[in-house]
Formats: sequence, structure tokens, C-alpha cells
Amino acid sequence: MATAPTPRLGELERAVMEHLWTRTGNGDGPATVREVHDVVGAERDLAYTTLMTVLDRLTRKGVVERERDGRAWRYAPVGSREQLTARTLRDALGGLAADDRRAAMVHFLDEASADEIADLRAALAALEARRDAPPA
Amino acid sequence: MLVVAALVLVALALAGVAPRVMARRTGFRRSPRPALVVWQCVSLAAVLAALAAGPAVVPAIAGPGHGRAVVGGLALALSAGMLLRLLWSGHRVGTRLRAVRREHRELVDLLGLPEDVGAGQVTDRDGTVRVLAHPTPTAYCLPGLRGRVVLTRGALESLPQDQLAAVLAHERAHLRARHDLVLEFFTVLHRAVPPWLRSGAALAEVQLLVEVLADRAAVRVAGVTPVARALVTLAQGRHPEAAMAAGGGTALARMELLAAAERSARWLSALMYGFAVAVLAVPLALVAAAFSR
Repeated sequence: MATAPTPRLGELERAVMEHLWTRTGNGDGPATVREVHDVVGAERDLAYTTLMTVLDRLTRKGVVERERDGRAWRYAPVGSREQLTARTLRDALGGLAADDRRAAMVHFLDEASADEIADLRAALAALEARRDAPPA
Repeated sequence: MLVVAALVLVALALAGVAPRVMARRTGFRRSPRPALVVWQCVSLAAVLAALAAGPAVVPAIAGPGHGRAVVGGLALALSAGMLLRLLWSGHRVGTRLRAVRREHRELVDLLGLPEDVGAGQVTDRDGTVRVLAHPTPTAYCLPGLRGRVVLTRGALESLPQDQLAAVLAHERAHLRARHDLVLEFFTVLHRAVPPWLRSGAALAEVQLLVEVLADRAAVRVAGVTPVARALVTLAQGRHPEAAMAAGGGTALARMELLAAAERSARWLSALMYGFAVAVLAVPLALVAAAFSR
């Protein structure tokens, strides 16, 4: 790919995901490119091939899966937004190997044990007491 | 030959001994920036000394003779091996990091809830904040050219406005100052050191120093108390099963540094920068000595 995906493409991917999630919510089965285009593409005046590209990208990102249906592909999300969010956060919070996670993401806070939380609270109380007291 | 021995000793001391001593000097955490520079210079000097030891053998044994050529060749091969190991480590760490980050960024971009950011709780002028619909209160950032600050809805619900501002300022400081590059550089050098010699405490200390820097940036934006409170709010919001039993959390150390409001003396910082430069000069001086005869 020569150019970085534009924010518009990102917005479109989100819209397609929303549509696929709505379909699943309504009990509709996997969608063809044509069906996605008729809803998401038509209101944005987009070409059929653009939607094909978006669905292909989403498949490669692992959030959409496709199955053959005659000569066409049918696309469906691999999970609901809640499921995918939980999976993403699991990666961030401990699913990935600790080394990868530590290096790839910078967390506000590492895991804290119950003892550490008690110590933290005590330290905060001391800090607040010191700051509330008039300077000696 | 004396120079070669000195280079090897310097490499061993800087890679094996110095990190263990330095990691215990917690007083330097009050000067996080010079402390980080010292850490980088010490590890860089260790690598330079180790790499230079091979080439430094060559002038020491200059002269005719088959045996000398073999020794010189072996020494050079050893250095070349170390250099390759270093480059390979850098390549592997770098590609792995960027792959994990890109994949994760694509997911949070897809799953993030723009409406929450727009609801006025978060000011997101540069469009880097993503809110995930999840009850676990947490905040982290994905560094890189297209950096992201990720918050959960749980975090938005449990953090009052001033603490949220503190958390955002902390994460934005990481992104803006490219703390990830500091960590990446150090991680690469760290992994290039043989496992029996490297010190895990050193890496942990550098990670803590980066957090202290971001905390200070957050204090400048939001004040001390909100930063301190946010540490507690996010620490206690974690589900117990997600918490690791073993300690090693840095939150308490950061809290104590927040409480110790007084800044370190200027002279101490100057001394630390001076030390960093001096450490870096040692292998260079030794190499110069090796080739000047």
C-alpha cells in the first residue's frame, strides 16, 4: 500500500463495522459486499469497489470473517463490539506476553496488589494531610 | 594488551556492576531527566567498550607472524559477532514493537467510541484519545508517530474531572516526549547484554524514571493532588483477578516522589550530566590510547 490510510477510510471502516453489528443484532446473516454497499455506500456515494476494499481490510485486521456463498463472499463480524473490546483490553492488560505489552504500550499504572493499594492509600492520605496543613 | 583488558573490564563493570549499584540509589529518581541520561550513557558506554575490545587487540599485537594474525582475526570476529547481535536485537525489538502497536491501534480505532470523547469529558484537540466500552478503569498509551491515548469507560466513570485531566496529561507527556524511544533504546541495549550479566532492576528503574517524568508533566497541568489521587483511583479499580500477586508495582514509589515535592538541587543534575559524559568518554579514551601507539 503506497499511502497511509486516511482518517476518512478509518471512519468508513467504523461505519461498515456498525452496519455489520446492526445486522447481526437484527438476526440477519453475513452480508455480501453488495448489501453493505447498498446501505453504507449509497448514503456516502461510494463505489462498490471501495466497500470491497474496506471489507477486505477489516478481514485482514481479524475483526471480520468471510465465507463463500456461490460466487460472492459473505462477511460477518467475528464478535460483537463488547466481545472485541474485551479481547482488545485483555491484550492490553495481560493477554500479550508481558515483555511485548510493557514495551508496546505505556500504562498509567502497573498491576497493584491489595497490599500495595493499602500502602498507596496511606501515602495519599499523608500527602493530602501535608498539603492541607499550613506551611510551618 | 593492557588497554584491551581495561576495555573488557569497563564493559563488564558498566554492564554488570554499575546497573546493580545505580538501581539501588533511589535518590536519583528526584532528578529523572539526568538520571535517564546517565542510564543511557552507562549502557551505551558498556556496549562501546565491549565492541572496541576486539579492534583494540590488533595494534597491540601488530607485527609479523601467523599466530598474531589468527589472534587478531579472532578478536575482530568476536566484536563483529557482538555488533551483529546488537543490530539483530534492535531489529527484532523494533519490528515486534511496531507490529504489536499497529495491530492494537487498528483495533482501538475501530472499537473506540468517538461520542464519549465528544461528550465534553475529554478534551481531545489532536484526535488521539480513544474510549473503549469496558468497565475496568484503565488508561494507557500506544506510542508511535500515530500515537493513541486509550481510556476505558470505567476510567471515565471513576475519575473525577481533575484526575482525568491528570491522567490525560500523563499519557500525552509520554506521547509528546517519545518516551517509548528512550525505552526502546534501553531495551535493545539491555537485551544485547548476555542474560547472566544483564540486570532486570536496571530496566525496571528506567521504566520508573519515564513514569516519573510523565507524572511531573501531569503535575504541571493538573497539580500534585489530582495526580496522586488518580494513582489510587486507577490502582483500586483493577479487578483483583487481573492484579498480579507479586509486587514490583511502581505506583508507591511514584506516590512518594509526588509527596517529596522539593526539586533536586541544580548542582546534582549538573554532576549527573557530567558523570554521564565522563562515562561515555572512558571507552573512547581507551580506544584512542590503543591506536595511538
